[in-house]
Amino acid sequence: MKLSDQIALSFTNLMLHKIRSILTSLGIIFGVGSVIAMLSISEGAKREALAQIESMGVDNIILSTKKPPPMGKDLSDNTNNSNYETYGLTEIDRDHILHMDNVATIATARNSRKPILKGTTRLNVNLYGVTNDFLAATRSQIIQGRWLSPADRDRNVCVIGINARRGLFSIQDRKIVGKIIGVGDDAYRVVGIMENTKGTTIQGLGSPNDAIFITKEASDAVYGKTSFQKIAGRTSIEVVEYDCFVVKVLDVSYIDFTSKRSAAFLNKKHDNIQDWEMVVPLDILKQREQTQNIFTIVMSSIAGISLLVGGIGIMNIMLANVYERRKEIGTRRALGAQKGDIIRQFLFETIFLTSIGGFIGVCLGLLIAKIVTQYANWPVAFSIWFILLALFISAFIGIIFGTYPAWKAAQQNPIDVLRAE
Amino acid sequence: MAETRKEALFLGDIRKTYHTGSFDVPVLKGVNFEIWKGEFIGIMGSSGSGKSTLLNILGLLDKPSSGVYRLDGISVETLSDFELTRIRNIKIGFVFQAFNLFPHLTVQENIEVPMVYAGVAKHKRHKIAAEMAEKVRLAHRLDHRPTQLSGGECQRVAVARSLVNNPTFILADEPTGNLDEKTGNEIMTLFHDLHKAGTTIVMVTHNPQYEPEYDRVIYLRNGRKWRIVDNVNNTREEFDTDEVK
Repeated sequence: MKLSDQIALSFTNLMLHKIRSILTSLGIIFGVGSVIAMLSISEGAKREALAQIESMGVDNIILSTKKPPPMGKDLSDNTNNSNYETYGLTEIDRDHILHMDNVATIATARNSRKPILKGTTRLNVNLYGVTNDFLAATRSQIIQGRWLSPADRDRNVCVIGINARRGLFSIQDRKIVGKIIGVGDDAYRVVGIMENTKGTTIQGLGSPNDAIFITKEASDAVYGKTSFQKIAGRTSIEVVEYDCFVVKVLDVSYIDFTSKRSAAFLNKKHDNIQDWEMVVPLDILKQREQTQNIFTIVMSSIAGISLLVGGIGIMNIMLANVYERRKEIGTRRALGAQKGDIIRQFLFETIFLTSIGGFIGVCLGLLIAKIVTQYANWPVAFSIWFILLALFISAFIGIIFGTYPAWKAAQQNPIDVLRAE
Repeated sequence: MAETRKEALFLGDIRKTYHTGSFDVPVLKGVNFEIWKGEFIGIMGSSGSGKSTLLNILGLLDKPSSGVYRLDGISVETLSDFELTRIRNIKIGFVFQAFNLFPHLTVQENIEVPMVYAGVAKHKRHKIAAEMAEKVRLAHRLDHRPTQLSGGECQRVAVARSLVNNPTFILADEPTGNLDEKTGNEIMTLFHDLHKAGTTIVMVTHNPQYEPEYDRVIYLRNGRKWRIVDNVNNTREEFDTDEVK
């Protein structure tokens, strides 16, 4: 029997019972649908998370200043209603780390700790003095105007983040570049607007989108390293040299070594006081990837069980089908159908069922994924590979669960069925 | 005359014993006969005579326990299921009592089924199916489905189907059993027409009414050949079928 005839025969047989065929493949439809939905959703969530981490820079080590817990802190100056504290990353730290092997550059940021006001309300915006390479180190872009230049050290100019712009100016203001903003007694002219499209949060600094940046030199000249704050009638004096280092390494494969050496150095230098923190985006990336993969595997396995159930359902119905069509099988065998022809006829029927079910399932899964991701505001990660995989799996299920009924059909003894009736 | 006869099939001491639990049930106890090409043979016998078992063996659906079966010069006792199926497909044309047509296929598609399994190309199948439909006078019914046909027409479709691979012989199992007398006679007429055109026909039946119509009638009793009525030479042979051993 020719293959084309075989395929046509199996397909015609399915078309004879359209409703039954569809009902039979429902299990596969929902099974494949849930697998596709799971894969797309978790892949979308994964890509989103990874993109965020990646945007911190996988070749970066981020060091930040952390206000140490008051316990174990020297409080000897706690007189005259004032608090005097010195903590955090220092120039000495920067120099030392910069001279380590494998360290290329260190972009730094220092928070002026000045409240930024709009009228009388305090905005959730901070002013930072940053080095020139800070924009590149945080993988941000200028979307209007320009970034700070070395020549700006003597000018009162700033670059603002996209979210800070929303706080400082009204939406109707089209032309922000050139406008003046006041910070305490100082005024800065806006020369550019920057954006970090991934909305990355940097330890010790928050999102660059929420900040105002001036040059490190200007910041040092105006604000120095000491800040005064009045909290509940007490003046607190804090001496902080740096709030954030973005350390860029030369060779990512040694980032682990470099981060450990830096940590060892800082521990020693800071007498084991935890007034600093370290984040290695690559480490987080790896952990996240791992947990996401486990998540994907678990979810897909659960969805896979429904595929299994669907497959068993198909096998069940195909077995009933074989029994119901004993006479047809017997007649075909008498007229010259080989056992192989009968096996292929029923196997193709099952594979058709599961493949068509798989195809509908893929469509259903993509629809579910689309709805969920839209609702959750995640990016959808449709991959052609998921679809091919799902179709392959459903055809495979057809083979697995179709083989036994097909074999059973071929074992029918024509004598037993021909004389029936 | 005898020298020009060609053997269509030959049965030599065919025995068939069914084993049911600890009992051996002998159904065929040594059946011998040959059928020549072009003959119209009737095989008759009452229930339990071994008629059905013989039919299955003749149709290669069952294997004898012992004995020789030669079909168109081929000894078939030792052949595999695959080879037997192939021979069944191209050398035997089956006609069943219940027609056994496929209800969802058209008359043409039904007629084509044995050719599909023989691997005949599509355009050739269409051509042969049309010719065969013509032969059984159903050319105008090619696009109908069996449910739209009368019983007699269904059986004519089945006869057309049995002819498509130009078989060595047609094996008809009670072909008039599901038909009324008039329609049954029409089908017998059709078989006579085919016989005149040279087709070898073996018809298994228990209907004694048609006895004079066959060239030879082989009667079975107790799993043995009992009587052979030769209508061509007008002879009648009887054999001992008593349970001696």
